[in-house]
Amino acid sequence: MSLKERGMQMKSSINYVRFSLFHRFCHFLIIISFFGLVLTGMPLAFRSYGWARWLYELFGGYPTAGFIHRICALITFFAAFIHFLFLFICVSVQKRKGFFWGPGSLLIQPRDIFDIVGDIKWFLGIGKRPDFDQWIYWEKFEYLSLMWGTLVMAVTGLILWFPVQFTKIIPVSVASVVDLPGIALIIHRYEAILAAGFIFTIHFFHTHLLPEKMPVDEAIFTGKITEAEFRHERLNQFKRLESQRQLENYKVAPPSLFVSFLTRLFAVPILITGLLMVGFMFSALLVWAI
Amino acid sequence: MVYKSEKSLIRENLSGFKKFTLGAFVTLSAAIIGLSPAVLTAGDNGPCIECHTKPDKLKTAEKAKINPVTGEIKVVSMVIDEVTFKASAHGGEDFFCIDCHQDLDGVDLTDGHKPNLKPVDCITFCHDDPADEYLQSSHVKLMKEKNKDVPTCKDCHAGVTYHYTSLGEKSPRDVPRGTDPLHRKLTIDSCGECHQEYLDSYRNNAHGQVTALGHTDTDVPVCFDCHGKHKILNSADPESKVGKERILETCGSCHANANASFVKHVEHPQIKNLNYYKKLLAAVKNARSNPADLKTLLKNPQTILCVVFVMYIGILAFTFSAFGLHSLLSWFAVARDELKRKGHADEEQH
Repeated sequence: MSLKERGMQMKSSINYVRFSLFHRFCHFLIIISFFGLVLTGMPLAFRSYGWARWLYELFGGYPTAGFIHRICALITFFAAFIHFLFLFICVSVQKRKGFFWGPGSLLIQPRDIFDIVGDIKWFLGIGKRPDFDQWIYWEKFEYLSLMWGTLVMAVTGLILWFPVQFTKIIPVSVASVVDLPGIALIIHRYEAILAAGFIFTIHFFHTHLLPEKMPVDEAIFTGKITEAEFRHERLNQFKRLESQRQLENYKVAPPSLFVSFLTRLFAVPILITGLLMVGFMFSALLVWAI
Repeated sequence: MVYKSEKSLIRENLSGFKKFTLGAFVTLSAAIIGLSPAVLTAGDNGPCIECHTKPDKLKTAEKAKINPVTGEIKVVSMVIDEVTFKASAHGGEDFFCIDCHQDLDGVDLTDGHKPNLKPVDCITFCHDDPADEYLQSSHVKLMKEKNKDVPTCKDCHAGVTYHYTSLGEKSPRDVPRGTDPLHRKLTIDSCGECHQEYLDSYRNNAHGQVTALGHTDTDVPVCFDCHGKHKILNSADPESKVGKERILETCGSCHANANASFVKHVEHPQIKNLNYYKKLLAAVKNARSNPADLKTLLKNPQTILCVVFVMYIGILAFTFSAFGLHSLLSWFAVARDELKRKGHADEEQH
């Protein structure tokens, strides 16, 4: 579908809010910091390949690439901080319900198991696409693994950033068996490969590069989805809001063509960069395997 | 110690002698050089440079050098790159070709000099200090006690002959310095030629991954920064730079306030060394008959590193196969639905 066609369709249809400005801003921060971290860090993990040297030099080599890496880490910390501050305010101050349980929760719910079974049936062609609610089970998995991954990367990254200070707090007898910086380096390296590989393949293909979304799911940038998309992707949520008579509150004007264009201008090069990166990483695996 | 001081005395005398000769030649230079340009004298590199920068002026522009120990034959160029030579550690104002090539002193050059010079003696008059240190190293101990082939001066300092540059030799620089990034890079490979396993494990560590990307300045350690240059001692020796007594000082030279726990860090992780896993498996197998083996291995910090590494390989394999399959399947399912939808839409249009 061309941009113009899609624009026509959007203009002609009713749109709903899917992501608030806050969430879109967080996603933007994560994109910027994640790419900065991956592009300056991955060369170290794939140090024996030509592309790694080229990429490392592109970001200023040692120690400049390291500084960029740390600045991006600070941006990630900031994004994580405002995210949890947001959750805290919503739950404790505004007393909003449904964060930990129910259809609007990002935590695993019993109905997710039925969704998984339904999804597998749909994959195999013996059922229709399940009707999902606000968060699909693999979206929850991605969210939770992002939280867990950020924690792991932050802790190990800080140990590598301040090895002298961190080892100081453990006694020598322990340090001679448990090599804290050594463990941190291994975890940091392979968790990074896991995270980058996951985002650049699974997140990309689940969310942005689906045949119905190609090349990008604009909702996370514009914050809006059309009614058709809403019904198709999250029929349960749509019906729930309809029955609660809340649907009207979510109605918004469709995104302008300009915003749509800007979204693609930003997202497409980023998606290509990620795919190239995972291509390089995968080629290294092939070289190693052969 | 007495031996040492005698040596340095000789050296001082030598440099005094040098100054004297230099002075003499400054006053008599025109006369002597003008009268007999074909005789080589100290204080002038001119006659050497005149031929040794132009291959066509040399009877032999290349020479075979045979290593008396290994029998290895190398082709060495006799041509000097003047600029490179002058930039080298031996290229200053005070050095002259015949300071090192002493058997050419006073030689008559009318028919050229004889082609085979004695090997240059670096130690006796000049470099006795590093030689002294080298003789105390674990390498020399191995040679004496176990009759092993160990690296001697020229194996590492092959660059000394680099003022015969451009043809044949492997380093593009002249006499190497410990602070020169290119030389630092080359030493990693030189050490690695024998210590392959240690080179591999160094590459898996924080320091080695940075130097692998081509950054070998003094702010990231290469082998000799931690293990020493001439007096390289086995790490089990407490006097070694990485031994019990000196490790704090060694690590501390970069990591300010390095503490006793910090220096326990494993610089050579065995995570990709199959032999370590074999050892672990064997120890687990023989746990009943020989529990001491397993106990020592479990106390080795390498074991945790290996376990963490294997765990992560497992996580990676599981995640990418499970979720890779999932996203492929969902991608194709979406594509299938899209095709169907388009088919219906087309039917409706017709």
